[in-house]
Amino acid sequence: MRDLTVAYASRRRHSSVTAVRGVSFDVNAGEFVGLVGESGSGKSTVAYALLRLLSGGGAVGSGQVVFDGEDLLALGPEPLRRRRWRDISVVLQSSMNALNPVLTVRAQFRDTIRAHAAMSSAAIEERIGELLDLVKIDRRFAAAYPHELSGGMKQRVAIALALVLRPRLVVLDEPTTGLDVVVQHAILADLRALQRKHGFAVLIISHDLGTVLMVSDRVLVAYAGRVVEDHPAAGLLEHPHHPYTRALLDCYADPEAEHVRITYIPGLPPDMGRLAPGCAFAPRCPRADERCRREDPLPRDIGDSRVACHHAEDPPVEGETAPGAYRSGASCVEARPRDERPAPPVLTVAGAVKTYRRRHQSVTALAGVTLTLAQGRVTALVGESGSGKSTLARLITGMERPDAGGVHFGDLDVTRLRGRALREYRRHVQMVFQDPFSALNPANSVLYTLMRPLGNHLRLSPREARSQALALLETVGLVPAETFGAKRTSELSGGQAQRVVVARALAAEPEILVADEPVSMLDVSIRAGILKLLDDLRTDRDFTLLYITHDLLSARLLADDVVVLNHGEVVEQGPADEVIAHPRHPYTRLLLSSIPNPRRARAV
Amino acid sequence: MSRILAPLALLWGNGRARIGLVMLGGFILMAVLAPWIAPYRPTYGGFAPMQPPSAAHLLGTTQLGQDVLSQLIWGARVSLMVGALAGGLVMLIAVVIGLVAGFLPGWVDDVLSLLINVALVIPGFPLMVVLAAYIPVHGVGVIILVLSITGWAWGARVLRAQMITLRGREYVTAAAFAGEGIVRIVFREILPNMTSLIAASFMGAAMGAILGEAGLEFLGFGNPQVVSWGTMLYWAENSSALLAGQWAWIFAPGLALALVGTAIAFVNFGIDVISNPRLEV
Amino acid sequence: MAKRFVFLVFTLWIAVTLNFLIPRMMPGNPAELMVRRIVGQGPVNPQLVHAVEIMLGLPVGSMAHQYVLYLGNMIHGSFGVSYTYFPYPVMQVIGQALPWTLALLGTTTIVTFVLGTALGAFAAWRRGSWFDTAATVTANFTATFPFFWIALMAIYVLGFLLHWFPINGGYGAGLTPGWNGTFLASALDHSILPALTIVVAGTGGWLFGMRNNMIHVLGEDYVRLAVAKGLGGHVIALDYGARNAILPNITGFAMSLGTLVGGSILVESVFGYPGMGYLLYNAVGDQDYPLMQAIFLLITVGTLLANFLADLAYGVLDPRARRGGESS
Ligand SMILES: Nc1ncnc2c1ncn2[C@@H]1O[C@H](COP(=O)(O)OP(=O)(O)OP(=O)(O)O)[C@@H](O)[C@H]1O
Ligand code: SF4
Ligand SMILES: [Mg+2]
Repeated sequence: MRDLTVAYASRRRHSSVTAVRGVSFDVNAGEFVGLVGESGSGKSTVAYALLRLLSGGGAVGSGQVVFDGEDLLALGPEPLRRRRWRDISVVLQSSMNALNPVLTVRAQFRDTIRAHAAMSSAAIEERIGELLDLVKIDRRFAAAYPHELSGGMKQRVAIALALVLRPRLVVLDEPTTGLDVVVQHAILADLRALQRKHGFAVLIISHDLGTVLMVSDRVLVAYAGRVVEDHPAAGLLEHPHHPYTRALLDCYADPEAEHVRITYIPGLPPDMGRLAPGCAFAPRCPRADERCRREDPLPRDIGDSRVACHHAEDPPVEGETAPGAYRSGASCVEARPRDERPAPPVLTVAGAVKTYRRRHQSVTALAGVTLTLAQGRVTALVGESGSGKSTLARLITGMERPDAGGVHFGDLDVTRLRGRALREYRRHVQMVFQDPFSALNPANSVLYTLMRPLGNHLRLSPREARSQALALLETVGLVPAETFGAKRTSELSGGQAQRVVVARALAAEPEILVADEPVSMLDVSIRAGILKLLDDLRTDRDFTLLYITHDLLSARLLADDVVVLNHGEVVEQGPADEVIAHPRHPYTRLLLSSIPNPRRARAV
Repeated sequence: MSRILAPLALLWGNGRARIGLVMLGGFILMAVLAPWIAPYRPTYGGFAPMQPPSAAHLLGTTQLGQDVLSQLIWGARVSLMVGALAGGLVMLIAVVIGLVAGFLPGWVDDVLSLLINVALVIPGFPLMVVLAAYIPVHGVGVIILVLSITGWAWGARVLRAQMITLRGREYVTAAAFAGEGIVRIVFREILPNMTSLIAASFMGAAMGAILGEAGLEFLGFGNPQVVSWGTMLYWAENSSALLAGQWAWIFAPGLALALVGTAIAFVNFGIDVISNPRLEV
Repeated sequence: MAKRFVFLVFTLWIAVTLNFLIPRMMPGNPAELMVRRIVGQGPVNPQLVHAVEIMLGLPVGSMAHQYVLYLGNMIHGSFGVSYTYFPYPVMQVIGQALPWTLALLGTTTIVTFVLGTALGAFAAWRRGSWFDTAATVTANFTATFPFFWIALMAIYVLGFLLHWFPINGGYGAGLTPGWNGTFLASALDHSILPALTIVVAGTGGWLFGMRNNMIHVLGEDYVRLAVAKGLGGHVIALDYGARNAILPNITGFAMSLGTLVGGSILVESVFGYPGMGYLLYNAVGDQDYPLMQAIFLLITVGTLLANFLADLAYGVLDPRARRGGESS
């Protein structure tokens, strides 16, 4: 790819956004290349431009995509069609929807083969069987329709489909996003093995550096429509050149280590529609100087990598440390030493059972869970999706009632609460939701959102509620509070929105806060900031936190105790450091080994 | 204030919707200003009957010697009023049934969805005809009533689906956590996010009502003394206007109906584009 | 499948019951009205009213009793005696009109559906082209014109001015209905204008529905992937685009069919076409309540059956619905 520029034209605002700004890189035959970057950094756009699949007003402004000496962007429709899939195939970001729902798996392989080669039916059938074997799916699923497959199976089918014509290059856009960590891990490992065996080249795109480092030979780091670092995977961990790469690496840590600490990058990625001159990373970069703000750095070679930074070779500065070493400061979250003092229980769940009936089958979400939340402590509830975590949260907050078993808050039987009593209970127990955009009403202002619980639960007058709401905004770091308060919730970024959600939950000054996957929808560089906020708040405000997550690293950072849930049952619980450093249950071990962790990834 | 103006401005930004709004505004203006812009009283029958278009009567005269153009201008009042009133009533029924069904899963929803589905498959126009035939008095009020009884199902279905989607949004749960009551959740949290859909359903219902009214009046279920586009067509047909070469008498009210319909369709198209950007051409 | 059948039976029952209830909910006694017409303006003889009530199968006894009787009659297909065509039973009168409507409406439903769907799919596939613009703008107009107005214009231009087609009735004057060439040719000739009217007025609805669905589907990931796979244009347009886009159009069948049925009543009335719509129009004008009710019931049953068939088709076309799940 040579100096590619892509812009999206927006008809409604009569403007255009340059999503990709002069990207160049190579993928060699048989090489496994990873492209990482946060949401909106232009990763997918690069992939779609490469495949000539841009849509939504996106168009290549300049540049070349040279494949085997031929510029793909200059190809006419029919020659292009014939080269598609034979040369380059793709697995799309949301593979959940990448298969045609009205055709069988077999039919979708067949039309692909037929479009490119004359093959007998028997030969096609044999090839489909081979491919399904390759991705470890039973051959009889060839006759299945997409809706009959699970998410992981669809993903495997999509991968098999990408290999059907033995392409030279496979592009994978977030191939495992949205899948369970365990499934994710298995698919990536299989993919790497397949690639080694068959020798095709891969360009894998992900927002998760851990994922990319685990499988790639070389890593491209994208930021604000640029590739800011192009580095062999082997040395990246130890010698990242670009300050952004460095900062990104510090967002990860090994949860099993004795001291665990992660940092986050202050600020937000730039608005691609309004880029300031100079380096796009400058506002967040600890090394930024006058020159950076004036002059946009061009990529240049440093050893075997290419980096776009004026100060890539300078020694680390204040606020940065040598890679891997620990540092302290405002922008870091650190697992605290274990609190040994006994704490009285505030809420108990005893033998809770919950079954959902969906049409003819019933699913047991909770099969007798017993759990105690201790006063002022943080309990992390971990488990993969479907293990019943959110169901438990709904029982605790009184949103649903268990089929059997009890939930007690002090003397209060939560399972019996209704109407007014339930509303009263919510003064004491509040919730932080997973998806901040879904949790805030786009029609309301931030201030209104915060004033309601203050008025309802604390009976504050509108004036008191207003000043209290502004104080809350400051508490969660949204300053100036007046400015943020006046905004519509739809105008906030993900991280800001989640801060408002936290502020709203705290408004009623609850004793218990239930946070259901509060960071899983956020970008890596922003996640740590929210974790830090929760951590600080609970020190200052002294509430009990039930932190629900599938991510053991954040559990280790935040929690005093860990409860591991699998198929609706508690399989292991205990102090966080102990459970994570010395897991006893095989399921906990599986969860641990599935975390994409760059610090261990190279060992795979 | 900006709650109302902002969406309108957005609508105005869409080319087709703008044309629709202008057309609709024109018709409303025509209806309001009818006494001033119509050349004659619509019921004054002192001219030579059954005259083809001429300079004095741009669209000719009726069998009773009334001016067709004046009737056309006055007729806009009834058509638009029926559209607004019946459309409003239909919407009201649809909103209540759709929202209640969507908000209360379980038997309430089961019963109401069954009701919606039944009302959806029973053909509306024949039902209208039969209902209108049994009601002894004929007139605009009856037609509005009949239209409202038969027209609500589609809107209710769409609103129910939307309600179910919105009900599942976490901000609804969050509102309950903030201590809000059900009424406030429905009206303050959910309803504002359905405005474009409600507006679109209202427009659709109004259009259905205007066409339905014209059809019923054409069949003779209206009060023939009331001047509306439907009764104009009724009289024109019953006086064999076409065979007398009086094409303008029939052409004009039909075109007016179609233009109002088109205007509404254009506005709806704009609403659609705003709420579903993929449709943008 | 079983669920759909139960729904069909249930809606049939509702329709039958509505038919029973409507006249009884209304003020005034329809039989009395009728008698008043028989005897002109003079005083009404109660015995005569009673005779008409019995003759027309109208209310006697308690509501429940009447209802049971009525259901029994429905099952046996006895709808009483027509007032206008006295002493012919309603069923016989309808029997004459039914084939006309079946032929006209059956053909036009299929034609409008196929035409509208195909044009809509093509317009979406060639989105932004002159064809798309022409198709959407035209459809925007035709879909909002009242059916009967298009009928009137067609009569005026194609019949009255150009003399291309006959403008009234279902067959030439002086012919007796039968299976002979002259008659069928005449019937066909007379059907063209009504059919054309319905097609012109009815196609737009399908076209819009299909175009919107297709645009939506063409933005889906699986279509993007189909392009990346290097499939031919027609495979993408048909197997990936239209095949998925047609599903919601079938779900929306009920509404479009309702519009078509309503429109055809008006069209038949305008053309004096000897089908059910015209019969209904006349029955209403003559206050022939037994006939009117039977026609309403039959039209409803026909519509319900058509919807049932559309539902079945949906089940076949959408693999997700095949397992007997509910289609939303
Ligand atoms: N259809 C579109 N219209 C306008 N702007 C777009 C469109 N698609 C993407 N963009 C803009 O282009 C930029 C890059 O988007 P892109 O989807 O390539 O990012 P990404 O790195 O793949 O993000 P993600 O991790 O969320 O998938 C963003 O600023 C985005 O807002
Ligand atoms: S160029 Fe300057 S601002 Fe940009 S990354 Fe390098 S040091 Fe930071
Ligand atoms: Mg992406």
